[in-house]
This record gives sequence, C-alpha cells and structure tokens, in this order.
Amino acid sequence: MIEVKNITKKYGNFVAVDDISFTVKDGEIVGLLGPNGAGKSTTMNTITGFIEQTEGNVVINGYDTLKRPKRAKSQIGYMPEGVPLYDDLTIKEFVTYMAELKKVKRKGRKEKVQDMIKKTGLTEMQNKLIKNLSRGQKQRVSMAGALVGEPKVLILDEPTVGLDPKQITEIRSLIKELGKEHTVILSSHILSEVSQICDRVIIINKGKIVAEDTPENLENKVSSNNVLYVTVEDTENKIESIKEKITGIKEIKLIETNEDKTKKYMITGEKDEDLRKKIFTEFAKEGITIFEMKKPEATLEDAFMKIIGEGGKE
Amino acid sequence: MIAIIKKELKNYFFSPIGYVVIAIFLFIFSAVFYDSAINTGTTDLTSIFLFVAAYGGLMFMIPLLTMWSIAGERKSGTDQLIMTSPVSMLGVVMAKFISAVIFIIIPLIFTLMYFGILCHYQVPDIPTYLTSMLGFFLLSMTYIAFGILSSSITESPIIAGILTVAFIFAVTWLPEMISTLSGFSLMNPFLNFLMGKIDIAVTVMFITLAILFILITMIIMQRRKSVK
Repeated sequence: MIEVKNITKKYGNFVAVDDISFTVKDGEIVGLLGPNGAGKSTTMNTITGFIEQTEGNVVINGYDTLKRPKRAKSQIGYMPEGVPLYDDLTIKEFVTYMAELKKVKRKGRKEKVQDMIKKTGLTEMQNKLIKNLSRGQKQRVSMAGALVGEPKVLILDEPTVGLDPKQITEIRSLIKELGKEHTVILSSHILSEVSQICDRVIIINKGKIVAEDTPENLENKVSSNNVLYVTVEDTENKIESIKEKITGIKEIKLIETNEDKTKKYMITGEKDEDLRKKIFTEFAKEGITIFEMKKPEATLEDAFMKIIGEGGKE
Repeated sequence: MIAIIKKELKNYFFSPIGYVVIAIFLFIFSAVFYDSAINTGTTDLTSIFLFVAAYGGLMFMIPLLTMWSIAGERKSGTDQLIMTSPVSMLGVVMAKFISAVIFIIIPLIFTLMYFGILCHYQVPDIPTYLTSMLGFFLLSMTYIAFGILSSSITESPIIAGILTVAFIFAVTWLPEMISTLSGFSLMNPFLNFLMGKIDIAVTVMFITLAILFILITMIIMQRRKSVK
C-alpha cells in the first residue's frame, strides 16, 4: 500500500507538486496521467525517495520514506524515466547487480535473475552488452532490473515509450499480470494504455490532482447523451425538413459526404434525451435510409482534454 | 554497499581506466628506479615514492580513478538506480571511496617487484620501505576523498577530474612556489613517512581530511536531494 499524504515539492519559488494526496491499495494498478511538466516524475521520484519532498509524507507498506528510508526503498522496484543503464555491463551482469543492490540473498539469486530475464524475454541475449541493445530491449532490461527481488511495489515511469507495438502488448500484459500480486503506479501519456491496464487513473496538471477515478467513470463523465451520428442515403435531401417533424432536435449538421453518396450528420438534441427511436421511425416514413446510427464514444482522451482544459482556465 | 564496491572494482578492470592508472604508476616508478638503482646505484626506494607522489603520478592517477564515480552516475542517470535502492547515502559514498582506495593498493603491491630486484644486490631498508608505502597510501586516500567530493559537485566527469588535478597541484606545488602557503602543503608531512617514521599526527591529519571530504560530499548529495 502506498500512502501519499499532502506532498508538496518546491524548487525555489516554483511549486512542482502542490499538496498531492492519494492512496494506492495492495494489488491495485494506478495510472498517473498528465501533460509534460505536470509533476508526474516529481511525484514518482518522491515516492521512490530519490528526491525529498518539501512538505508531506510518503508511507510505503507502513514505512515512512523519510524516517525508515532503507525499509521503504526495499519495498520498491523502480523503473526510471529514460531507462538509465550501465552501458558496459551485460544484461545478466546488470540484473545481477540490481539484485545485489536490493539485497537478494545469495542463495537462489542466480535463479531469480534468470527468472526475471526470462520473464522480460531477454534470455537469448543475456550476455550482450547493454550498449549494443535496441531501445526496446533496453526498456525490458530496465524492467527486469526493477522487478528483480520481487518488490511489493512497482513504480514505472513511462514503461512503454519507444517500444514497437508487439513489445508494447507484451509489456502491458506483463504489467497486468504483475498487478495481481504487486502494487503498481505507472505514468504514461498514452491514454489508451492507461485505460487498458489501470484500475484507477489520477490526472495531474500543474502539480495538482485534477481528477481521480476509474477510466470508465472518467469516460462516462464527459460522454454526452444528446449527440448522435447518423449516416443516411437521402437523395431528395429530405433531412432538411426532418427537424420540424421531430420535437427535441436542436441542430442537424452535415459532417461529410461519402463516396457512395451517403451523408453523415451530427444530430444534437435539446435535452438529454435518447432520440434514436424517434429518428428511426421518422426517417423511415420520409424514405431516408439509415446506414449507420451511433452515439459518440467518449474516450479517455476526451476526458483528459476536458479536465486539463478546465484546469487550465482556472 | 559491497555490491557497489564489487561493481566499481570490476569497472576499473573492464575499462581502460584501471590499466592506465597502473601504467602511469609503473612508468614513473620504473623510470626513476632505473635512474636511481642502475645509474646511481642506490638501494633507496623512498625517493621514488616521493617522485611518483610529487611529479605527476598521483596528480593523474587519482582524478582518473575518481572523476567518474559520482559525476558519471549522474550523467547517465544511473544514480536513480543506486539512490532508490535500499543503500544509505553514506553507504553509496563510502562504497565509491573504498573501491578507489582498494584499487590504489594494487600499484603498491607491484613495488614489491622492485624491492625483490634490489634484494638481489643488497637488501634495502625494510621499515623505510614499509612506512613509505603507508605514507603513499594515506596521501592517496586523502586525494581520493577529495576526488569523490569533486565528482559529487558536478555532472561532468571532466570538470571533476580537472578540479582534482587542481587540488593536488595546490597542495603539492603551490606551497613550494609561494612560501606563505607552506602550511597547506600535504607533501611536507608526507616526507616524514619517507624518513622511516610513522608520524601519528600526520596520519591523523590525512584521515581527518579524508573524513572531512566525505562529509562534505554527503552534505552536497543530501542537499541536492532536497533541492533537486
């Protein structure tokens, strides 16, 4: 369990993180979202004890990072942003070094190192020097380094940046699997990734938490009920007169004309009312053929933009 | 901490740095040995230690050993890995210090070779040889502590190296050139060891200086943690 209590981090007069509090329960995967410079990495660096907060406390599995730093740190596996590694070591040497740093007992250390190398898919290249690896491979080495020693808490700063789609899928499923036994905080700016992996999302902007909820709830918050997209075949352009026939339509707007002469419209209702039934029957009466009718799907992107936008207006 | 020492020592041997440091030492030592033993015919090894300590030997060996220690980690970002592992700040700094100190013993062991050669002709004064080694070791230790300190100030290993060269120059040659600075010389106290004495006061001074430099390093790193 990670408890972040009223963390503030100041650089001179600049407040990078402003009174942030949140809790991550055991076995939960939480995504930290926010635009660049929002304070994600600063928050993560504070949790890992790499930097010290100006005010507030971080408690990891009951150990305060300032009062019991060694105990707190031994709970954490950290994958820093930009995957810093030792270029002159081989993969095996690096993971072994990380295991030693984390005080993994000599007995069984080799097996644990091999286990992690296997889990991250690096077995065949484990004797290669890190400087000769590709970006994606380095990412996985960094991941292996964070995972070795089976820390209860994982802090992953942008874990999938620079990977190819196949590797991204692999890393994601690895994180998901790890989330069953570990407490995970990850930061990302790829929203689809966060909505796929995370149980909960914390959106940070300008050093403050602006939203905290499950990805689904965040999406629902911004989805509007009164907008519909219809694609119709309407050769006689009868849709113009439809507006008067159905009560509750505020606006019908042509969005695009497709190659097969069907047209896509956006219909906005006046109230938060489902108009689909009415539209279906009225369109049929007028001889307008409906090819497609759907509600807009709100994505986390929309939620994010909306929330960040609101925060920006303050 | 032991993990870091192991890694540092490995690093000295798997990169050219370690070999260059030993080579500098052996080159100067051999050259002076050739001159003193073969040309002059003395069995005095102490003057060679003085030569290595004063004429460029340590001035290049120590910066090479220490310039990367903390600055290099910060440059590559790997300090994030060490500082977030369950090792205390003191543990990290001490590990860096100890590994360089252990390494500097290696060239000292090589001097046994010259000692052996001399034994073939006439056994040199063993106590003087041992105190010279001790003095050389203590002096190196103080320099290493400063090297670690300068490596913690900057993110650039080159600047850290230059700072260390400047420091060693300042405590070796500046007091010779400007007499009012003679109190700052570390070379004069070192001479006592070359005369076959174990000077307790000087030993304490060297160790105290080393502790002081390590403490300043700790303060700098702690401050960076809360300011960064």
